[in-house]
Amino acid sequence: MTLPETSQKAIDDYLAALRRQLRDLMEEDMNDIVEEIRAHILDKTTAGADPAQVVHTLAALGAPRELAARYCTEEMMRRAEAHRSNTQKARIAGRWTVGVLGGLVLLLVSAVGYSLGGFLIIIGIAKIMWPKGTGLWETNYPDGTWGLGLSGGSGNTPPANSHDLFGWWIYPIAFILGPAIIYGTYRLGRWTARKLWPARKKFNYAATEPQTEI
Amino acid sequence: MEENQAINSESADKWEVQLRKGSLELAILAALWAGRLYGLEILRHLESGSDLVVSEGTVYPLLTRLRTLGLVESEWVESDSGHPRKYYSLTAAGRERALEMGRTWARFAASLNNLLTPLNGAVKKEKP
Repeated sequence: MTLPETSQKAIDDYLAALRRQLRDLMEEDMNDIVEEIRAHILDKTTAGADPAQVVHTLAALGAPRELAARYCTEEMMRRAEAHRSNTQKARIAGRWTVGVLGGLVLLLVSAVGYSLGGFLIIIGIAKIMWPKGTGLWETNYPDGTWGLGLSGGSGNTPPANSHDLFGWWIYPIAFILGPAIIYGTYRLGRWTARKLWPARKKFNYAATEPQTEI
Repeated sequence: MEENQAINSESADKWEVQLRKGSLELAILAALWAGRLYGLEILRHLESGSDLVVSEGTVYPLLTRLRTLGLVESEWVESDSGHPRKYYSLTAAGRERALEMGRTWARFAASLNNLLTPLNGAVKKEKP
């Protein structure tokens, strides 16, 4: 199709101005846009190629500055969408990391808490069964040295020159502090688990079912 | 009184522009549902199939964004008219997005129509 010289010049001027306005985009994208707009103008001006028709077509596209601004706005929207998506990914990765590390710490703390509580209760039971052989013994040896030892069981006897540091206090320590440590560990575990892995609200699908099929 | 009417009319116009703008993405994806089209064909499809008055300078930038988002893909094809044309078609992600947006639109329209029931009588009276 051959256009009158004035029409061809109007198109070339428009596309050159558009190219200038799109200079911030990558060259490949800029060329693609300009060629697409050229194809659009040529498609709309095939019949007769009246100069007035070319003017009308260019006016319908808007001034090069406005058209370029629309491309830039759409590009910004796309970047915003991509950024939002990246931010979401980072947030999910962060949540996973905190969940896994927190889980490991919780496992460690729980293991220590339950073991200590259980151990104290066992010591208390051992003290009932073998009162003379169970306790935390402080020993003064003949050579002047000093030692501390824990024993419990039927075959155990404390060394000579020893005395039990806790005595009968072992019972409240074993039967009050032991269960308290176990209960405290349980509560701490539940609280931490709720913080680390909050339960998701159940989604009511029935309420969101589309009322109209398309 | 006249001043109020002018403000109402301006605000209604802005609302309509926003509504058209917001629905254009869905309209374009729906236009491509049946197969590939080039820019001018999409524009003609939108104008013939609805009373959407679409600015030519709006559709092309939007098509570019849809392409970079991976919802449509494009290819240059030689034509009989002497110049190549850029054809657009939906990608799998684009088809999925179109369906999802279509469902949302249908649900939203149904809900809003329910809310508009009290206005129906007044709107019918206004129609010539």
